[in-house]
Amino acid sequence: MSDHTVNIVMIEDDEGHARLIEKNIRRAGIANAIRHFIDGTTALDYLFNDPNGPACNGPALILLDLNLPDMSGIDILAKIKAHPRMKRTPVVVLTTTDDKIEIQRCYDFGANVYITKPVNYESFAKAIQQLGLFLSVIQVPEVGEE
Amino acid sequence: MEISDRYFNRVVFAAMTVGFALLLIAAVVAVVAAQEKQRTTMLVIHTYEVERALDKFSILSEQLETARRGYILNHRQVSLDTYHRTIDAIPLQLDHIGRLTHDNPVQQKRLIALRVEAKLHVDSARQTFDRLANPNPAIQAMADFAVDSSFVSMLELRNQIAVIDGDEKRLLDQRMGAQDEASLMLNIVSGIALALILVIMGGTFWIVLRYTANLNQTQDALRTLNAGLEEGVALRTAELSRANEEIQRFAYIVSHDLRSPLVNVMGFTAELEMAVAPLTVLIDRVDAEAPALMTTEARDAKADMPEAIQFIRTSTAKMDRLINSILRLSREGRRTLAPTPIDLGVMLAAIRDTFAHRLGEIGAEIDVDGLFPPLVSDRLATEQILSNLIENAVKYLQPGRPGRIAVAARSEGRRIIVDVVDNGRGIAQADQERIFELFRRSGIQDQPGEGLGLAHVRALAYRLGGVISCISSPGEGATFRLSLPTVLVDLREGPAG
Repeated sequence: MSDHTVNIVMIEDDEGHARLIEKNIRRAGIANAIRHFIDGTTALDYLFNDPNGPACNGPALILLDLNLPDMSGIDILAKIKAHPRMKRTPVVVLTTTDDKIEIQRCYDFGANVYITKPVNYESFAKAIQQLGLFLSVIQVPEVGEE
Repeated sequence: MEISDRYFNRVVFAAMTVGFALLLIAAVVAVVAAQEKQRTTMLVIHTYEVERALDKFSILSEQLETARRGYILNHRQVSLDTYHRTIDAIPLQLDHIGRLTHDNPVQQKRLIALRVEAKLHVDSARQTFDRLANPNPAIQAMADFAVDSSFVSMLELRNQIAVIDGDEKRLLDQRMGAQDEASLMLNIVSGIALALILVIMGGTFWIVLRYTANLNQTQDALRTLNAGLEEGVALRTAELSRANEEIQRFAYIVSHDLRSPLVNVMGFTAELEMAVAPLTVLIDRVDAEAPALMTTEARDAKADMPEAIQFIRTSTAKMDRLINSILRLSREGRRTLAPTPIDLGVMLAAIRDTFAHRLGEIGAEIDVDGLFPPLVSDRLATEQILSNLIENAVKYLQPGRPGRIAVAARSEGRRIIVDVVDNGRGIAQADQERIFELFRRSGIQDQPGEGLGLAHVRALAYRLGGVISCISSPGEGATFRLSLPTVLVDLREGPAG
């Protein structure tokens, strides 16, 4: 796997959501590899310990759902942002909650973007597709650092 | 039990009344008897006085006689002194007796005879002394002779005195008898009165004891009941609060978890819609270029798919709205309460001001000018409850009738009761509990709303340790009664997670 390609790590327990997110990413013309995890434990293991994971290798963009069966997405966010090599990895929080307090908490923990999963699919699709733009912007400094 | 008690009370009351009446009669009789006794006693004393006066008269007469005889024998000055003293005292004493017996005509008559006899006696004595004082011995000797006649007059005098005295003695006996009778009567009456007093006192004492015991028992029962009631209210409030909390948590989780599948439904519906577009084009092309390949089912599917998708979309949109409402409700319930002193009058006036424009438009009035007891509770929640209730009252007024809305509050123990009264269109009996449920509304659906307001109000009231209820006559108006603890104690240590 190329060191300079940004991997997309998607932590999302709902298969349907994952599929919709992936579809929209692809629809936006983003061809980066997507690693999908449906629970927090496996995802954390990959992030911090896998030789191909962002902690050991290469830049990444993390798409994080807050409601996971085994832990809260906030905990994962906190761990990522506390890790010296990972803290600059952009994290996009994707969740069904539009609770202001929850959103603020996510930003306080260092979330880069917060996307509410609206039932209005069009706006959701648009938000996901704009991740491509976001991705192209963040790619450069990450590569430079490596 | 109650009836027999009441009957018993009536009997006791009647007995007591009779007892007191008898006592009153006894007291009157005793007074009369005592007066009678006093009267007879006075008469007895009077008789004694008459006797004493007679005795004194008798003694004076004897003394006069003795003095005369003594003077005849030895001419001593002592006899002369006695003579002078008695000769003046005798008529005075007779006058005294006359005064004492003036009410007794028989004695008066006798007294006249006595006076005549006494005069003879006195005159005879005076003659004797006058003669003895004369230096002529012959005349002096005649004094001795006078003693003989004086002896007779003295006897006569004694007889007459004895007659008068005997009469008085008879009177005395009579009067003593009357006095004894009066005394006996008084004693009997007193005895009866005393017995009555004892009986009534005993009865009263017994009744008081019985009543006091009953009263104590009732008070104890009441106290126990009260304590139980208060405990019950506290327990119930805590239960409500806990149940409410559970519902809030449940609502939060449910709304959250319901949203996830809804996102999928909506997302994949959109995907489906996108997929339908090229398929429609394809079917149209097949229809045009190779009609042999075309089937009726395919043609129907082309028409049905957009319709189905449209229904799915409107349904999910509605479901999303409902879930959002529940979520909002649960979020309110999770807010930390901050008990602060609240001036309900000021708060209500402020709420009224927010409706001022609308009230002007429809010509309605809100009266919040009464006196409001002080309240310590969560300001925001209280304001939301009252604002919601007033908003409803304004919203559901009866068309064609000037709207009158009044808010009043009063203290009831450790609670405050706030009544929001309107003369609006009212709520049917069957709906009066239902309107507090989520998404439920009453009457004609001519006003915008999701059926959330009152559910919200009830949830907030429960959180404040209160209750809310509705009483209404359809077409006449409704009263929403909010009961809140005067001082809010948040049962939870912190916000629920």
